[in-house]
Amino acid sequence: MSWRKPSVLPGFGLTFGFTTFFLSAIVLLPLAALILAAGSMHWSDFVHVVLSRRALGSYRLSFGASLLAASINLVFGFILAWTLVRYEFPGRKIIDALIDLPFALPTAVSGIALATVFAQNGWIGRWLEPLGIKVAYTWLGVTLALTLISMPFAVRAVQPALLEVQRDLEEAAETLGARRFYVFRRIILPTVLPALLTGFTLAFARAVGEYGSVIFIAGNLPMKTEITPLLIVIHLEEFDYQGAAALGVVMLAISFLMLLTINLLQTWGRRRHVQAAH
Amino acid sequence: MSITLDQVTKQYAGVPVVNDVSLDIGDGEFFVLLGPSGSGKSTLLRAIAGLSGVDHGRIALHGRDVTHVAARKRGVGLVFQNYALFRHMTVAENIEFALRVRRMRGRARRQRRQELLRLVSLEGMDDRLPAQLSGGQQQRVAVARALAHKPEVLLLDEPFGALDAKIREELRRTIRQVQRELGITTVLVTHDQEEAFAMADRIGIMNLGRLLEVGEPHDLYSQPATRFVATFLGAANLLLARRSADGIQLGATTVATIDRNPGVSEYEVVAVVRPEEVELAPTRAALTSGYLAHGVVDEMVFTGALESLRVRLDDGAQAPLMASADRAGHAALQVTRTQHEQRDFEVRTGQSVAIGVRRLHVLPTPLSSFTACAQSAAQAEALSRQPLLAELSARMKTRIAVRVEPRLGVADAPCEALGDFVGTTVMAAQSDCAQRAEWLLRRGAKDLLVLPDQAPAPQRVLIHWMGDAARGATLAMSASVLRHLPAEAVYVGIQPDDAKATPPHGMRELLDARSEAQAAHGLDMRTELRFGEVSQELARRLEESPAQMLIIGVTDLTRFAERFRALLEGGRWPVLIAQRATP
Repeated sequence: MSWRKPSVLPGFGLTFGFTTFFLSAIVLLPLAALILAAGSMHWSDFVHVVLSRRALGSYRLSFGASLLAASINLVFGFILAWTLVRYEFPGRKIIDALIDLPFALPTAVSGIALATVFAQNGWIGRWLEPLGIKVAYTWLGVTLALTLISMPFAVRAVQPALLEVQRDLEEAAETLGARRFYVFRRIILPTVLPALLTGFTLAFARAVGEYGSVIFIAGNLPMKTEITPLLIVIHLEEFDYQGAAALGVVMLAISFLMLLTINLLQTWGRRRHVQAAH
Repeated sequence: MSITLDQVTKQYAGVPVVNDVSLDIGDGEFFVLLGPSGSGKSTLLRAIAGLSGVDHGRIALHGRDVTHVAARKRGVGLVFQNYALFRHMTVAENIEFALRVRRMRGRARRQRRQELLRLVSLEGMDDRLPAQLSGGQQQRVAVARALAHKPEVLLLDEPFGALDAKIREELRRTIRQVQRELGITTVLVTHDQEEAFAMADRIGIMNLGRLLEVGEPHDLYSQPATRFVATFLGAANLLLARRSADGIQLGATTVATIDRNPGVSEYEVVAVVRPEEVELAPTRAALTSGYLAHGVVDEMVFTGALESLRVRLDDGAQAPLMASADRAGHAALQVTRTQHEQRDFEVRTGQSVAIGVRRLHVLPTPLSSFTACAQSAAQAEALSRQPLLAELSARMKTRIAVRVEPRLGVADAPCEALGDFVGTTVMAAQSDCAQRAEWLLRRGAKDLLVLPDQAPAPQRVLIHWMGDAARGATLAMSASVLRHLPAEAVYVGIQPDDAKATPPHGMRELLDARSEAQAAHGLDMRTELRFGEVSQELARRLEESPAQMLIIGVTDLTRFAERFRALLEGGRWPVLIAQRATP
């Protein structure tokens, strides 16, 4: 085993075996089954299901709203993390704990809660209604639900990176004459950028897979407020297992492509600096 | 003046970290702030850079008051201990940072960068990332970066801390060279006295937030004014000596001094003897310098160029006392000898030798030693172990002796001097201690500390004197105490009630007191003016908050016990009395 480097920790064989087994049993096998199920379809049927106007509408909403939600969390998640890391204020610990709530809440509960507040007669919805803004049962509601449930991912990914930004660096930049915003742009942002991207990726992945909270606030109008996971459930309810699997494969492919792109971007960003040195 | 600090004070949670520091640093000077960790030197440097504000005082750079100016507008360059390089930027980008901020053109920027890289001998390293450089190279980059915008002042915060000895020396030389070439005013913070000696034009020594002494390296080493500086700058033997009309009596020898002052009674002083000023010889007759005592070589360590020894002094009536002996009284002298001396007289451990002193320096410090005085040996022992006294003596590096006076406070005991009271006498604060204090003062105790049981370390020291004859002694004593405690100093001026109508007189007295403290003793103190009877007002002031101490000068012992009862028997605060009779 020439690839095996001497290590202080014993048990490489055991742990590597376990890793392979675990990944296969939990991740790869079910995914393979999904692809097989879709593969048993006739090609034209597959294309018909996957490229139907209803399906295309749902892709647009699912991925569009997820990207939007992840982008919102990129900005506000960063601000939240910044506040929690950099300032001491009463109730900081409580707010810190609140961040994790969307993790723990059953997503259906979040959906119901959001629908209640943003419905036309809800606490906030009734004030938005006269302004012509409808949140519940529109794409806005979908985005809102996805933002809520993916928020902890963005915050938790950036927080440790922010903790590591050394105060010395900011102080050094300050004595060199930099204004605050310049310090932020040139020193802090580049340092936490990888963590920000990771947070964005995690939030996006979480949002794409979300089902529970969205169906309560989306209204689920075909072509308008119907997300792809819901469309899959509808196929299942009609006992069209193959159709559901076909849509699943498409989601899988798009998600994988997007995550891969972001990962590659990150690697490229890291390598750029090392190459710059030669 | 390039840098002017005026009574700069910085507190964290009420504790002064930088305490009333005033300092002038000249154009092009290389100034080193030296002190142990936690002495406030880094905080002071950060205050000059503008990275932390000050609670009190003024900072001026080149005559411009910058106390409230942001760091980025102060025109200083700062180098950190851990380099603080921007890791995601190349060497070139790091150095050009300050130039980009100032929107300098690309060409001029490149030119300046090349100039700086040449200055710190890192040509051709432009495209490296900090992670690809050694520690020494990284610090060179940090220096170049700090100099890029042509700052008027360069500040270095322990810049060699993380480097090994050889690189450190090389970088020291580079920095000194760069500093000379640019003629830039530089302040370096360090805890390493060797580094300070190697680089400084002048050194300022800090301890407990106070700037104790400022001077050229050689002067500070050969003529320190305080025990802290004497022992922090190199090794020093502190010995107790007697200053008399003839000169200084140290053990068996009397050293004649130039400034004879006949008529002055004998008093105790602290003498500094550097290890290299000690001479060893087989017999007293073979010594070429003044004989000090006989001793036995306890320990020998060979350190290359020098041999370092510990020599235990023989006991005897004539033996000199170490100012800082351990409890058992074992006094060992530190001695270093050159190869040349070793060849002339070889010694082995256990050998008996005659000890001579080539040169000694007498500290002008007023607090030479403490003597715990009580009616019984047990009480005196207990008193000598009081935490505040133990702390003071440990910080001042003084010894605590014990003295039993069975008739202490007995009114009909004959009122004559009982042996002499040397140094500072310490007595317990208890009921009728005012009378005991008077008893001791009348029998020759000049400096008397009345110490309550378990008194806390003071955070504020109140200063007052009754009668001008005691002013100098009180100020000297206050300065000495405050050099060893992280406390603020407050002079309390007290005017009789009927003087309220004419306040100008009282204010003048306050200002005079303050400027004399500053000029003659390097002590910065705040001032307060109160009206009323002296001891009542002082007691009232001491009641106001816990952890205070009083230093008071007295000239007149008439009705002392009666007048000072409230002050001494209140019990919770230590009172240090300096008695000086009006001539």
